[in-house]
Amino acid sequence: MRVTVKLFAFFRDGRFKEEGREYPTGTVVGDIVDGLGIGRDEVGVVMINSRQHSLQSPIAEGDVIAIFPVIGGG
Amino acid sequence: MMDRLNDFLRQRAAAGSIALADAGEAATAFHSTLLEVEELALGLGIMPLRHLRNGLGCQEQLRLLRARVAVIGCGGLGGSIAALLARIGIGRLRLVDPDCFEEHNLNRQQFATVDSLGRPKTEAARTAIRSINPAVIVEAVVRPFAETDIEAVDIVVDGLDDAGKRLELAAYCTKLARPLVHGAVREWHGQTGVATARNRLLATLYPGMGQGGAAKPPVNVLAPTVTLIAAIQAAETCKLILGIDSPLARSWMLCDLLDDVFEQFPA
Repeated sequence: MRVTVKLFAFFRDGRFKEEGREYPTGTVVGDIVDGLGIGRDEVGVVMINSRQHSLQSPIAEGDVIAIFPVIGGG
Repeated sequence: MMDRLNDFLRQRAAAGSIALADAGEAATAFHSTLLEVEELALGLGIMPLRHLRNGLGCQEQLRLLRARVAVIGCGGLGGSIAALLARIGIGRLRLVDPDCFEEHNLNRQQFATVDSLGRPKTEAARTAIRSINPAVIVEAVVRPFAETDIEAVDIVVDGLDDAGKRLELAAYCTKLARPLVHGAVREWHGQTGVATARNRLLATLYPGMGQGGAAKPPVNVLAPTVTLIAAIQAAETCKLILGIDSPLARSWMLCDLLDDVFEQFPA
């Protein structure tokens, strides 16, 4: 299935801002994160179609998945 | 005595405002604090000259002067926030941080100077704020934050550098019904928003992280990012005090200084 993946802040470094990507049925957001070489503990907010989700959330054809890093410095 | 002080302030006022030297003279002559003199002047419709260019009315400036704000964490974000709040005229600041300045703080922390290295951050901030605005009453607390720090104030500002501690702070603020003005930074990126009883902002931003979790290694932060996010946090704090509605009470904002994009997302 084809989805759009959006990355934010430093997750874009060496990757992309937004990209159409193919994934097999049954993929969850965590699989996308793993495939991009991002540590799961680095991920903060996850949205599917502008609604808050988690790394365990399954994705569906046409979804827009937004992945934000934890920003924790002060 | 109060009548005589009122008369003194009216006599010294010029074009509706009073100079710092005159307010200071009044404080000495009438055994008051500068903050008390400024509060009294504003009650009489006399604006301290130092606040004239804030462009606020006397009643609005008085609300700022009477506000009690805690800045939790007094490093990058916290130091810049404290300086801004002192300049705009917040009357009482409680600065809480257990740490002393180290050399690697010099790249971004407002009160880190070659002279303040080794000194407690909150005490160095108090000294510096005295020369920015001597009317502000600054409590410099040199220990980790506690519930009593939240209880003592009206609004709490997040200058922490750790997700687990932020969740702990948010839990105190929820329990005691204090708004928490959140900010966080990393490299060229920052985020900010206002956590209130109506949203669970910190739980949204830091999912899957329990309170008091393992501390992360320090992250890299640039001074412009810190100053930008601190400025937004200071503005949000003032808007809360003045009762000005803010989109950041319902959303959080991600600021990207590489692409110069500021985006808001629902809290």
